[in-house]
Amino acid sequence: MPQEAQFTILRAARLIDGDGSPVAEQAAILLEGDTIRQVGTRETVHAPEGASAAEFDYPSGTILPGLVDCHVHLIGIGDGRAGDELVTLPDEVLTVQAAENVRRHLYSGVTTVRDCGAKNRTTFLLRDAVEMGIVPSPRLILAGRPVAIIGGHLSYFGIQATGTTECRAAVRQLIKEGADFIKITATGGSTRTSHPLRPSFDVDELTAICDEAHKFGKHAAAHCASSQGMVNALDAGIDTIIHGVHKEADGSDVYRPEIAERIAERGVCVNPTLGGAVTRIRMLESMESDLSHAERADLDTMRRASEVRMDHFARMRDAGVVMAAGSDSAWGNYRMGDFQTEIEAHVMAGMSNMDAIASATRDAARSCWIEDRVGSLRPGMKADALVVEGDPTEDIAALRRVSDVFLDGIRVDRDARV
Amino acid sequence: MPPTADFTLITASRVIDAKSDAPIDDGAILTQGSKIVSVGRAEDVSAPEGASVDVHHYPAATALPGMVDCHTHHNGFGDGRMGDDLALLSDELLTIQSARNARASLYSGVTTIRENGPKNVTMFRLRDSIDAGLTVGPRMHLCGRPVAIIGGHMGYFGGEVTGANQTRALTRQLIKEGADYIKITATGGSTQTSFPLRPSFEIEELRAVTEEARKFGKLTATHCLSSEGIANSLEANVDMIIHCAFRDADGANNFREDIAERIGEQGAYVNPTLHVGRSSAWTLARKRDDHGLTPQERERLDDTLRGMEVRMDDTRRMIDMGLRVITGSDSSWGNYKLGNTVYETELLVHAGYSNMQGIMSVTSWAASALDMDDRVGSLEPDKEADILIVNGNPAREISDLWNVADVFFAGRKLERGSDASLSAVRQTPAQL
Repeated sequence: MPQEAQFTILRAARLIDGDGSPVAEQAAILLEGDTIRQVGTRETVHAPEGASAAEFDYPSGTILPGLVDCHVHLIGIGDGRAGDELVTLPDEVLTVQAAENVRRHLYSGVTTVRDCGAKNRTTFLLRDAVEMGIVPSPRLILAGRPVAIIGGHLSYFGIQATGTTECRAAVRQLIKEGADFIKITATGGSTRTSHPLRPSFDVDELTAICDEAHKFGKHAAAHCASSQGMVNALDAGIDTIIHGVHKEADGSDVYRPEIAERIAERGVCVNPTLGGAVTRIRMLESMESDLSHAERADLDTMRRASEVRMDHFARMRDAGVVMAAGSDSAWGNYRMGDFQTEIEAHVMAGMSNMDAIASATRDAARSCWIEDRVGSLRPGMKADALVVEGDPTEDIAALRRVSDVFLDGIRVDRDARV
Repeated sequence: MPPTADFTLITASRVIDAKSDAPIDDGAILTQGSKIVSVGRAEDVSAPEGASVDVHHYPAATALPGMVDCHTHHNGFGDGRMGDDLALLSDELLTIQSARNARASLYSGVTTIRENGPKNVTMFRLRDSIDAGLTVGPRMHLCGRPVAIIGGHMGYFGGEVTGANQTRALTRQLIKEGADYIKITATGGSTQTSFPLRPSFEIEELRAVTEEARKFGKLTATHCLSSEGIANSLEANVDMIIHCAFRDADGANNFREDIAERIGEQGAYVNPTLHVGRSSAWTLARKRDDHGLTPQERERLDDTLRGMEVRMDDTRRMIDMGLRVITGSDSSWGNYKLGNTVYETELLVHAGYSNMQGIMSVTSWAASALDMDDRVGSLEPDKEADILIVNGNPAREISDLWNVADVFFAGRKLERGSDASLSAVRQTPAQL
């Protein structure tokens, strides 16, 4: 059915293209259907001769690319419960929660998410619902279940593989079900039966996973809560390192510059996930006077750990590593709809506001292998845009003052609750 | 946001408590937490001296109990798709759709529903999600899956059984899973492998269900698209007859006064589901006006219109006979979407109810039909503070039930979202 092209023009006090260009003043952008056609100024951007356009003006606002959160757990609740407990909920309940989470994230300005691990087929079935038009959602880049060793981190989500053959089979199965990338847990994590300071898979198993993913044009991302996991993942040809924690097998925080150099050389992205700790610290600080002894101890530990992580973050950046923002919400106490905290954490760790925004747009898109479609405002890119009140390069908290969200060129009704 | 004050005081031009015969002019309702404390004339209702009160004034509106819809299908889309096709979708997707429908219904003013046929455990899972605070929806009176014969109506939802032993076992299983009542399909229906003009279960199979349900204090309801199904259901002491279509095995419409009288004698409720047919007629009429109809569609429209007339007549007779006819929308089935329950109540008014009776049929009488009248369906002290505020006066003009100003659920005013999103849920009439 031939349909008349739908033009939309957004105008604002300023525009950040996400590509790292300086802020453009008195900017405007022309959208045609789901695609960006023109980026320029109030004077230069017009609908084609004779065509009408929907027009939106934000006299004191800033237009940015829709945010890309390269690390979410859509089935999470963010109420502090452990993954081991979350997984005991029925798949139907987890899918309902995922539908609530994608809505929340979209309304907060995130137009693309990469889900880094869900139980069974829940996120694939959520995608069915999104495609049927019954759930408003950002673009979904899905892993399905992570590939884990027996007892390994997130193994309770449904895949425990041993040996290269099983690893390869797991990847094929996930791709058959609709996986857009492969998530591997290369070390243990919060999963009770796992060992965060130790690597999980052997290098040949990791290599089989990465090779198989690459064969089908998919990327692979590895959870690494300690240094040996990063080394193994790099040996195997990984594309994104998640957490990127420099820790020795004895638990000591030792920054390993040679690992950072290899990451930078290979163009591997690191998704540092600093926001979860910041959320938890802010939460505990807000109830400072009512803290139990255990919570006070937790706060001290979190503060120290967060400081170390931020220091290592800064060093990896200095070594030339691409830092891709991904919240890891709704894991732990970090609820969805608050990617802004992760971006703020990047600023706290030493990034300029502009670099932190790029880490949550262009660089996050790059880590998801979709930088040719989303993550920056350029002609030909998908018409995903966020408009906020104020100037986030001056005050990063401006990212929380969301005026409008556009997904595929359509203004999202952020008040819709049905 | 939970109310920060101790009490909530709602005043309105009139309050319909759904117990008294007439509205209370210049009425007020005082609630505390999730419960109603007092109801009466505004001058007589106030919070205790010194208590903090959150006050809501509705100067041109009516306050009435949140609506009770005795017949829903939350899995459904109301886009004309067959149940046979619906059942092919994954349970997870159907649960998401149910969550969406539950919100649409709640925001339209329905605060209690009885679900008549979802797939597998999807509605139990939705209720789990609501209880866990992950999403919102009305109070739910659930059946789990309907009890059906092999190939019978809604057998695809997972509850096909044969023999009194199996019907009894399934009843126990459903109650174990959390069923509040048992739904049985006593005749075929739209299910492709079923026979709407024929009874499904034998009486002894039905009786095993009703006896077992009663043992645990649960009610039963049967889907009946033909007269013998109704007669069998009455023989088995079923508590509610759904659709209640008086048709003989050859398809002839034949109002059976003897059967109707027995319904009255046994005190069974009747849920006529009048609008679900009209919603299909509207869809066809719209297609007729926009693109034209095929000969088959033309015939289907004519059949539907004729069927509606007969069902309206039969409902009028049952109302005249004093049967307990209540509102149950049957949405989202066929082309009828949840969030539009009022259409059914309007048709009951067209069939003979006064406006006030129509309101009762979707509030206090409906609550009685579900055996939930101790908690919901009327505005009385100690009942749940489920309160619907509509602009206008539905006691004078029943369609004012559409003009929802606010919905209070368990004492909390709901955030219903943007007007655009709410009106997207509303279905509009077509010229028939």
